[in-house]
Amino acid sequence: MSGEPLHVTLWRENRALAEECLAHPFVRGLGDGRLDPETFKEYVAQDAFFLRAFFSAYALAGVRAVERLEVAQRLHGLMRGVLDELKLHEGYAESLAIDLESVRPHRAARAYTDFLLRTAWTAEVGEIMAAMTPCMRLYAHLGQELAAGDHSQNPYREWIETYSSEEFEALATELESLLDELAHNTRGVSFAYRYAMRCELDFFSASLAEGF
Amino acid sequence: MKEFTESRLALGSGELWDLGTYAEFLDAIGDGSLPEDAFHRWLVQDYLFVKGFAAFASLTVAKTPRPAQSLLIAGLSALDDELDWFEAYAEAKSLDLGAEFHPACQRYVDFLIAAGFSQPFQVLLAILYGVEVAYTVAWGRLEAQGPYAEFISRWTHEDFQTYVRALLRIADEHLHPGQQEMFDQVMRHERDFWQMTWES
Repeated sequence: MSGEPLHVTLWRENRALAEECLAHPFVRGLGDGRLDPETFKEYVAQDAFFLRAFFSAYALAGVRAVERLEVAQRLHGLMRGVLDELKLHEGYAESLAIDLESVRPHRAARAYTDFLLRTAWTAEVGEIMAAMTPCMRLYAHLGQELAAGDHSQNPYREWIETYSSEEFEALATELESLLDELAHNTRGVSFAYRYAMRCELDFFSASLAEGF
Repeated sequence: MKEFTESRLALGSGELWDLGTYAEFLDAIGDGSLPEDAFHRWLVQDYLFVKGFAAFASLTVAKTPRPAQSLLIAGLSALDDELDWFEAYAEAKSLDLGAEFHPACQRYVDFLIAAGFSQPFQVLLAILYGVEVAYTVAWGRLEAQGPYAEFISRWTHEDFQTYVRALLRIADEHLHPGQQEMFDQVMRHERDFWQMTWES
């Protein structure tokens, strides 16, 4: 498959994990609206904790890319996307009475943020992109799959609409194009992508079966 | 060992202290029942861990002011000797030190490096102490006997305990409200690391 863009290769190689996420009881619960609201609240808090680390990882990638201002500028646009995503969480926090300031991250959230930040502090920018892409592409995929059904009465409609929106798809595509530009298919890059996808799956599992 | 088990950080961590310093894996080393190949699998992961830990210790050296820094530089040199020892042993036994990280080892190293870059030096001192004290206390519960006597003696050496005691002193001299939470994290990772080999 020579000539295939890297993001296509990595997505294909990890597609089974992505489909495992789609079939996960947590995600199915979002899709059919039957997810326990308390579980959702805890998930939102954990996800907000995660997004702060995700934001930092973009910032640290930006530090590496400062010699190429055009790349830095695009990373800056992606950072704005995270801030917008956090607004969704703040909205939930307000309407569902979630305290986002005193989140006790569960093990899966810690493992994921430790991995992201370790990568962001120590790896080349291409590998950082590989560690970050699964989150964006997976959520766009989940959002679009869940939006395909009738969700007009779904209590998690706003979540589904956010991640199935054109704006979110554009962010995921932008990150994938940075990945294609900045990374090569090395052992480190392919490991980072796979490990992040595995962290996504673990994150959903931990959100159902809370384990500190 | 009393100064360790009754230290502020150990007491503050509650049951995590015991979870991080007792392990079935160690019992099996103590009574000699652990199969050699299981021990070798653990040893390779421990080598990968020590490499990451040395990077963490370097970050701690970089952030810590003198005179506390001297002790950390000496500790870093001891870690280098430890890595040499692992490499020589692995060569003699034909162990593959290029093996993949076990997820428990990966999580532990990710935690250390992420903390090394982002936490203040006082917190890093508590983490460094946590890693070393867990090791010395866990191994120190064993008698140096049986097929693993050489290893038990190595990791319960008096010089090592003296070093850990000095680490405790500097962690106590540089108090910080973030120390306990990160010390607790170390104990969780220690627990997972001991269980890693036992469960596979």
